[in-house]
Amino acid sequence: MAALLELTGVSAGYGPTAVLHGISLSVEEGEIVSVLGANGAGKTTTLRAITGGVRWSGNIRFAGRSLGSMHTEDIVRSGIAHVPEGRGILTELTVEENLKLGSHLRRDGAAVRKDYDRIFEYFPVLRERRRLSASTLSGGEQQMLALARALLMRPKLMLLDEPSLGLAPMIVRSIFEIIRTINQVDRVAVLLVEQNARLALEMSSQAYVLEVGRIAMRGESAELQGNESVRRSYLGY
Amino acid sequence: MQEFLQQVISGIATGGIFASLALALVLIYNAMGLVNFAQGEMAMLATFVAFTLIDHGMNYWIALPVTLVIAFAGGIAIQRIVIRPVEHAPILTLVIVTLGLATLVNGLAGFIFGYVPRSFPSPFSVQTVNLLGAYVSYRDLGVIGVSAVVLLAIYLLLQRTTLGLTLRAAAHHPEASRLLGVHVSWMLALGWGLASAAGAVSGIMAAPILLLEPNMMQTIIIYAFAAAVLGGIESPLGAVVGGVIVGVTVNLAGTYLPFVGGDLQLAVALAIIVAVLVLKPNGLFGRPSVRRV
Amino acid sequence: MLQRIRYAPPRYWLVVVAIVLFIGLPTVISSFQTSEWSQAIILAIAIMGLNILVGYSGQLSLGHGAFMALGAYTSAILVHRYKMDFLVTIPIAGLITGIIGFLFGVPALRLSPLYLALATFALAVVTPSLIKRPAELTGGVQGISLPPAVPPQFAKDAFAAVTGAPMTSDQWIYYVTLACAFILFWLAWNLVRHRAGRAMRAIRDGEVAAAASGVNIAGYKTLAFGISALYAGVAGSLFGLAVGFVSPDTFPVALSIQLLVGAVIGGLASIPGPLIGGIFAYFLPIESNQWVPTQTWIPSQIAATVEKAGPAVTYGVILILIMIFSPNGIVGLVATAYTRLRRRLRGAGERESGQAPPDPQTV
Repeated sequence: MAALLELTGVSAGYGPTAVLHGISLSVEEGEIVSVLGANGAGKTTTLRAITGGVRWSGNIRFAGRSLGSMHTEDIVRSGIAHVPEGRGILTELTVEENLKLGSHLRRDGAAVRKDYDRIFEYFPVLRERRRLSASTLSGGEQQMLALARALLMRPKLMLLDEPSLGLAPMIVRSIFEIIRTINQVDRVAVLLVEQNARLALEMSSQAYVLEVGRIAMRGESAELQGNESVRRSYLGY
Repeated sequence: MQEFLQQVISGIATGGIFASLALALVLIYNAMGLVNFAQGEMAMLATFVAFTLIDHGMNYWIALPVTLVIAFAGGIAIQRIVIRPVEHAPILTLVIVTLGLATLVNGLAGFIFGYVPRSFPSPFSVQTVNLLGAYVSYRDLGVIGVSAVVLLAIYLLLQRTTLGLTLRAAAHHPEASRLLGVHVSWMLALGWGLASAAGAVSGIMAAPILLLEPNMMQTIIIYAFAAAVLGGIESPLGAVVGGVIVGVTVNLAGTYLPFVGGDLQLAVALAIIVAVLVLKPNGLFGRPSVRRV
Repeated sequence: MLQRIRYAPPRYWLVVVAIVLFIGLPTVISSFQTSEWSQAIILAIAIMGLNILVGYSGQLSLGHGAFMALGAYTSAILVHRYKMDFLVTIPIAGLITGIIGFLFGVPALRLSPLYLALATFALAVVTPSLIKRPAELTGGVQGISLPPAVPPQFAKDAFAAVTGAPMTSDQWIYYVTLACAFILFWLAWNLVRHRAGRAMRAIRDGEVAAAASGVNIAGYKTLAFGISALYAGVAGSLFGLAVGFVSPDTFPVALSIQLLVGAVIGGLASIPGPLIGGIFAYFLPIESNQWVPTQTWIPSQIAATVEKAGPAVTYGVILILIMIFSPNGIVGLVATAYTRLRRRLRGAGERESGQAPPDPQTV
């Protein structure tokens, strides 16, 4: 059975500088896959390539369809939610309006209302602050908003770029819990880019390690976690 | 006192005209960071369209919304054909393109309709009604009424509908909006369409007063600039408030300051622009923006 | 010296040829046509000034018609009221306009390019009204008439020696204009090549970086404003001389737009650009009405439409097309074509000489 997301020999870059050199990875339905590596290794570029934010060559297929000639918004509409570096919060709008942009494409009204109930359950602070400008949220709250918004999109695949960045450990734990719940309950596949390798490996079933734009290592997360030399050389702990 | 009240109400009416055009400028500025120097000419052309419809027998109250729809479509067309190819060009290029557009539209109007001023029919008579002791013309009330309705409709569209939400999102955060499935490019076109319709209202309200001819909007656009700058170039509410303030101020200045005759009222607008830019560049409702380096 | 002549790049020869052509022009065309070329050169001078502001220092002005008006009226008033000789008033008008432009530059520092465009646009629209007001000084709506210029004896003799015909007033005005243009263009060329020009370009390309490099931003930006106003003032003064009178209606907002259009179409940040722009700005409206219908190779429908629609539509369309396809204007187009041609002709030889194609901005 073909994977939900399949990258084959993808190279990408900004202008004349190539950042990714022929990487291949795949994500199965309902799977959590993490992409690890140091700063500048190309993790963010990988996600951006998938949603069309950077020029790439090679092959990217999602649900059997090639994403080659599609615009970002159409790629997103086909079932991929991308929470970018910096979270992509629309600070000119309120919390509620941000959420609405998550659900605005859906037609199943009743299910949407149920999803709103759920996200307010996971993130009560969003309900409290819903009429306020999104710019008033703290970093952690913005991450919750981004996640809630992604959830409302009912995607088949979520791309998360460094969800733990700049957040206190306790908040990170609770966010990752919710990500796990979303994955299990809604069967949403997740491609997780993280610098915090330990957390990422705990969450995911498969992992890829990027080094200077190439896949240096791949395997089952559990194995990578257990392998001390791998941890020391590639993951820094 | 009576005279003062009359001038104020009259000023609010002209303010409505300025506000509609200023709102158009603000909508496009929000979408693209560009002041559309052709907005007045586009409004003038739409007014000529309305004139043609009415001239061929269409009822004013039908011609008005029909013209707004045509102006809307025209705005979209202009964005797709003229603006999109230079979307990412530096601001100077965009300004010049709008100047070229202004010249083009003005010439087109002259070409199709000629330069002889025409009188534009208004459903409101110039008769006055006694309001709180002042004599206010039905026409002024009509202009205030129509402007208010259109501005309110645009406000509701932007703030209370999903379409308006995606429009605002695309205008302020194009990249993030794409990641939410918003067709940013089409939202930009819609913004232009909406702005064009708002401008059309301004022109149609102004025409009975000014006489319809291709250069009709060239002074109104200056007042609209003043209104937009005063209100804060990013703020739709500011455009409306600014419009009213400019309208009333200019009217009162023309009436009570002896050296400000008819043609120097325009200089008052210039003075407002300069004063705002020097004292409070962000206007009444604008927010100071951080310069990205 | 001879060595330098031998190795001078082709574009220097182009300049020499152009100079010769311009000097000789009145001898081969009618007096009326000469006066038309005077107008084009006057516009070119104003456009050169605008170019220094927009092209080289990155500030946008839609109000240079107002500076032309200032220069024109200064000269007119000095001649009319104080009976000064016209030629003397030209540098005075330029200087006064330049100083006022410099003062304008100070508040302009605080405005973003867009707001500056807006403010100067408003200024341009208001200018005719502002002129009418001090009616005693400016002659109000009627303006000021100027006595026709009489060519001095030496000029008459020189001209007669070459052509055998007496020099007309228009021809004399042409040479005065040409002389001013030579001086001002040469000054601009020097300005651009040396420190002030480099500073301005640094500011245009990135103010923050320029400031970090120690460039006196405020100083150079206001200087650019002043210089560009000076040029416009001289142009305005010459305009009054050429036309024979000044009135509020000769400086509408359309003039300011025409100047910007000419600057852009000719090519910003180039020296020959304003000349081409001036020629274009002056002759296009006239030619589209007169020349196009006489060209049989243009299909009659297109010709009829262009003639009827008039210069405005043609202007607008050309402007938009140039912005979309060649934002560097005609000079940019020519420079690109020249570079491509050279590459094609040179082929592999390019690698041997190791020379980069000439930078069009330093012509």
